[in-house]
Amino acid sequence: MKTPRRLVLKTLLLLLLASWLTGAGVNALADVPAVHLGLAGEPATLDPHRYNLRVEESVLGDLFLGLTTFSAEGKIMPGAATHWDTSEDGLTWNFHLRPDGRWSDGKPVTAHDFVYAFQRLLNPKTAASLAYFMYPLKNAEAASKGETPLRDVGARAVDDLTLELTLALPYPHLPERLLYPTAFPVPRHVIDRVGDRWVKPEHWVSNGAYILRDWKPQQHIELAHNPQFTPAPATQSVFYHSLANGQNAYNRYRAGDMDAIAGFPAGELANLSTTRAAELRLSPQLSMMYLVFNTRLPPFNDVRVRKALSMVVEPSILTDKVLRSGDVAATSFVPPMVANYDHPALPQATVPLSERQVQARALLTAAGYGPDKPLNIVLRYATGTDGKKANLATAAFWQQIGVKVELHQAELKVHYGDLRQGDFMVAQAGWLGESNPEHYLGLLHGSTGDTNYGGYHNPAVDKLLNDARGQKNIVARHALLRDAEILAMQDYPVMPLFALATRRLVRPDLRGWHENPRDAHPARFLQR
Amino acid sequence: MHLIARRLVTVGLTFLVIVTLIFLLLRLTPGGPFDGERALPPEVEANLRAAYHLDKPLAEQYGLYLAKLLQGDLGPSFRQKDFTVNELVAQGLPVSLIVGASALVLALFLGMVTGTFAALHPGRFIDVALMGFINLGLAIPGIIVAPICVLVFAVLLGWLPAGGIGTPQHYVLPIIAAALPYAAAIARLWRGAVLEALKEPHVLTARAKGLPPSRLLFRHVFPVAALPLVSWLGPLAAGLLTGTVVVEQVFELPGIGRYFVQAAINRDYTLVMGVALVFAALILIFNFCVDLVYRLLDPRIPV
Amino acid sequence: MTSRLTQTLFGSITARVMTTLLCCIVAFVVFVPLLSGWEAEAVDWDALESPPSASHWFGTDLAGRDLFTRIAEGGRLSLGIAVLSTGISVLIGVPYGAFAGYLGGRVDQWMMRFVDTLYALPFILVVILLVVVVGRNTWLLFAGLGAVYWLDIARIVRGQTLRIRSAGYITAARGMGASTRWIVLRHLLPNVAGIALVYATLTVPGIVLAESFLSFLGLGVQEPAASWGVLIADGAGNMEAAPWTLLYPAVFLAVTVWTLNMLGDRLRDALDPHLRRH
Repeated sequence: MKTPRRLVLKTLLLLLLASWLTGAGVNALADVPAVHLGLAGEPATLDPHRYNLRVEESVLGDLFLGLTTFSAEGKIMPGAATHWDTSEDGLTWNFHLRPDGRWSDGKPVTAHDFVYAFQRLLNPKTAASLAYFMYPLKNAEAASKGETPLRDVGARAVDDLTLELTLALPYPHLPERLLYPTAFPVPRHVIDRVGDRWVKPEHWVSNGAYILRDWKPQQHIELAHNPQFTPAPATQSVFYHSLANGQNAYNRYRAGDMDAIAGFPAGELANLSTTRAAELRLSPQLSMMYLVFNTRLPPFNDVRVRKALSMVVEPSILTDKVLRSGDVAATSFVPPMVANYDHPALPQATVPLSERQVQARALLTAAGYGPDKPLNIVLRYATGTDGKKANLATAAFWQQIGVKVELHQAELKVHYGDLRQGDFMVAQAGWLGESNPEHYLGLLHGSTGDTNYGGYHNPAVDKLLNDARGQKNIVARHALLRDAEILAMQDYPVMPLFALATRRLVRPDLRGWHENPRDAHPARFLQR
Repeated sequence: MHLIARRLVTVGLTFLVIVTLIFLLLRLTPGGPFDGERALPPEVEANLRAAYHLDKPLAEQYGLYLAKLLQGDLGPSFRQKDFTVNELVAQGLPVSLIVGASALVLALFLGMVTGTFAALHPGRFIDVALMGFINLGLAIPGIIVAPICVLVFAVLLGWLPAGGIGTPQHYVLPIIAAALPYAAAIARLWRGAVLEALKEPHVLTARAKGLPPSRLLFRHVFPVAALPLVSWLGPLAAGLLTGTVVVEQVFELPGIGRYFVQAAINRDYTLVMGVALVFAALILIFNFCVDLVYRLLDPRIPV
Repeated sequence: MTSRLTQTLFGSITARVMTTLLCCIVAFVVFVPLLSGWEAEAVDWDALESPPSASHWFGTDLAGRDLFTRIAEGGRLSLGIAVLSTGISVLIGVPYGAFAGYLGGRVDQWMMRFVDTLYALPFILVVILLVVVVGRNTWLLFAGLGAVYWLDIARIVRGQTLRIRSAGYITAARGMGASTRWIVLRHLLPNVAGIALVYATLTVPGIVLAESFLSFLGLGVQEPAASWGVLIADGAGNMEAAPWTLLYPAVFLAVTVWTLNMLGDRLRDALDPHLRRH
C-alpha cells in the first residue's frame, strides 16, 4: 500500500490542478478594448422599477433610455422623447417619441411601452420602494396603494409615438424627475413571456446604448453595445466593478485595472492632491448633509435648545479643517447648486461668530440647562470614517457650551431605519437629488411621513409649500419656496452642514468624463 | 460497507439538525431584510413579505424550505434580487474551493517539510529557530498577513495583482496568505508526531538495521505520524474555511465566504442560510472522507 | 503545582522574557488610559493622521485620536473579552467534561459525539450566525465566543476524568456511599483544576484572535469602541498613507498572542507531559 502521505498529496494535487484549470479558464476576462469603471457598491437589482441605490442609477442609465436623459456634461437632454409640450394649466404634458427608438431585439419603442412601465412601477405587486418618485402623476399615489385601478393613472398613449402624462398638480420639474430609472420603459413582450427572469442576461432586452452581457456578483457587470441604438457609442464594452473597499479600489486603479474609481482611502487625499492632481476629482454633488432634531421629544421640542446647538456648529470648519475633501459648507438648507433659486441665508448667519457661544449659553440657561443640570444628548450617525470625523467635531462644538454628548453609530440601513421610526434625539442625515428646492424642503412638510425624521410640523410652512405646488411658473414657485425656507429655518428644525463631494480618481486619458452636480457619467460618451 | 452506510446516515441526520437549527435561528431574529435606506410603504412591504412567504406560520415556512432544499433549490436572495442563492453559490464556490483546497495543500506541504526538519534535529539550533518562527506564525493572524502581503507584493513591488480574479496570478497571494497560519499549526503538530513516531520500536529497529533515511521516513515514520495529522484534518479544514473568508475579504475575491459576511451584514437570510448549509455540507463530507482514511490507516481499527 | 508554575514562568531566559513581555503588555493596557494625557475619543485637530511624535508616541489615526491610548483601550477590550469568554467556556466545559468522563458509557458517548459534531463546524459559521441573530452587541459577542470555545476544555477534562475515575480513592468513596455529585465536586474538580487552568491559558489567545477576526470583518466590536481587531481593520484600510495605524496594533496583537501561546505550552508541558497535544 502506498504511503498515505503520498496518496493524500497526489489526490489533492490532482484536485487542485483540475479545479485550477476549470476555475482559471472560466474566469479570465475577455481581451476586448473596454472601459472599466469602479462602483462604490454592488447593485442589488437591474430592474429599473425595483431600484433603490445610487450605484444602480449609473448602470441603469447605460442600459435604458428614458424620456429624458443626461448629456455628457450631466445636463438634461431629450432621450426617448425628442420634444415635449405642456398645456396652459401645466397639468398635461405631451411627449413626442423618436420614431427610430428600438429595443435591442429590433422591436420599436412605443408610447404603450411607457404606459405599461408606469403602471408596472405603481403596481403594489411590484413592490417598488421608489414608486413615489412618480406620484406627481394623477392618481399615482392612490393606484400604488391599491385604491384605484392602474389604468386610471395619468399616463396615456395618444398614438404609438405620443405619450400624454396628466398631473395632479403642476410640476415644472417633470423632465428632471423622468431622469430616474423609475421612469424607464421595460420590454413588455419579454416580461409577459418569462416574468421576473427578464433581467437575466440570456433574456435581456433594453433600449439604452448598452445591453447586459453578464453579471458576476462581487466581480463585475459586463455591458455590451446595443446594435439597435443610434448614435453608436464610442466604447463597445463597459465593465462596472463593485469595489466597496477604498483600499482595494485604489490598488486596482494603480495597477491599471480601472479607468475610474469611486473612492479611495481617506488618508490618501493629501498625498493624491500633489502626486495625482489631474486625476483627482472632488466634485460637489446636489446633496445636503444635515443634523435633524427630533422635535417631538425633549430636549429638542424646545426651539431654544435647537437654536443654541445650531448656532455653535460651523460648517466651514467641518469642511475645511476636518474633512478637507471638497465638500461645500452649507449656507442654507437647499444646496447651493440648485438652479433658479435665491438661497436665503440661515438665520444664525447674522450673529457674529464671537457672540454665538455667548448667545447659545444664554439660550440653554433660559431653557433650564446649566452646569448643575447639564444637557445630555445622543448624536447618531451612519458608519463611515467621514461621518465619524464630522460628528466628533460637531460633538466637540457642543461640548464647548457645556453640553454632554454621546455618539452612537450604526450601519446605514439600521441608522435610517431608526430615523424613520423617530428613535433618536439628534442625528446626521443626508439627502441626495434633484436641482429642485422642493426636493429638500419637502423634508420639512408636516405630512411628508417618515422621511420628515424629526416630525417638524408648522402649518404656516405647510401652507407655503402647498401653495408653491400649485404654481406652474418656476419663478413664482421658487419665490414661495424661498418664503417657506425662511420661515422654517427660523424654527431650527434641522441644521444644514454641507453638500457632499464625490471623491474619485479618473484616468486623464478617459475622454468624455465631465464632473457635474448629479455625478452622471453616461458610458456612451466615454472613450479611452 | 455496513459501517459506511451507518456513517452516511449519521451525516445525513447531522445535516438535517443543522438545517433546522439555522432555520430557526434566522427566523427568530428580530428586524427583517427589508429595512432599506428609503421608506417602504406598508402595502409594498406586505407584498414583499408575501412574495417570500414570510407571512406564513413558521412550521409551514420550514416545510416549504425543506421541500425546496430536497430539490436542490436554496431559494431567492433577499438582497441580490436578480439572483437565486443557487446562482450565487455556483458563481462563488469554485473560487472558494480553488483558494481553500490550494491553501490546504500548500499548508500541508510547508508544514510537513518544516516539521520534519525540526523533528530530525531536535533541540538543535535549527529546531529552536524553526519552532520560534512557527510560533510567531501562529501568533500573527491572517488579518495582518493578508493586508501586508497586498502592500508589499502588489502595491510596492508590483509583482502580483492586488485583487479580483482573472488569471492564475490573481490566486497566488490569496493562497499563500490563507495557507501560512495553518502551515505553522501543521508544522507544530507534525513535528510532535514525527518525534513520537521516531521513538517507535519498529523505527528504532529499522534505523539499527541501517535503512537509508528517505525509506525510513516515508515507509516507517510517516505512516505512524500521519495518524494524528489525519485526525486533525477535520478541524483544520474548518479553520481554513475561516481563513479563506478573511482572505476573500482582503483580496476582494468573489467567493462564497465573502457572500456569507455580506449577507450577514445585509440580513439576507436565504443567502446566509444557503452558504451556511454549503459550508456545513462541505465540512461534513470532508470529515466523512477523513474518517474513512483514518480507519484505513490505523491498523488497530477494524474497517 | 506552585513551584512548577514558578519554574515554568521564570525558569529559563526565554520564559523570563516572555513573562516580562506579557506583564508589560498587561500593565500597558491597564495603566495607560489612566495616565495618558489623551482620552481615547479626544480629537487632536492639529494632528489628524500624523506619524509618531513627541505628543503622540504612536501617532494618531484618521480621526485624530491618539493611537497610544487607543491601543491601550483596545487591549482592555480585547483581553477583557478574551478573559470573560474563557471564563464562560470554562464554566461550561469543565462540568460537561467532568460529568461525561465520570458517568462514562453511553452517556459519555453521546455527550462526546455532540462535542465532535460541534467541533467539526467551522467557527466562522457559528459565530456569524450568532451575529446575525443577536445583532452586533459586544456582550453577546463574548458570550457567543465562550459558547464556541468550551469544546477543547470539555474534551481534555473528560480525558483527565476518565483517568482519575479508575483511581483507587474514587472507588473507595463510592464504596462509602458518596453521591455522584459529591464525588465530582469534591474529588474530580480539584484534580482537573490544573489542566483546566492550562487550557484556559491557551484559550485566551485563541479568543483574542477570534475576536479580532470578527471585528476585522465588521461583525464584532462596533465603533466607536475599539478592540485590536477594529484598529487593525482601520489600519489595513489606510496602510499606505499611515502605516503606523496598522503596525502598532498588529505588533501588540501578535506579541500578546505569541507570549500567551508560548507560556501556555510550557505550562502544559510542565504540569502534565502526558497530555502533549495530538
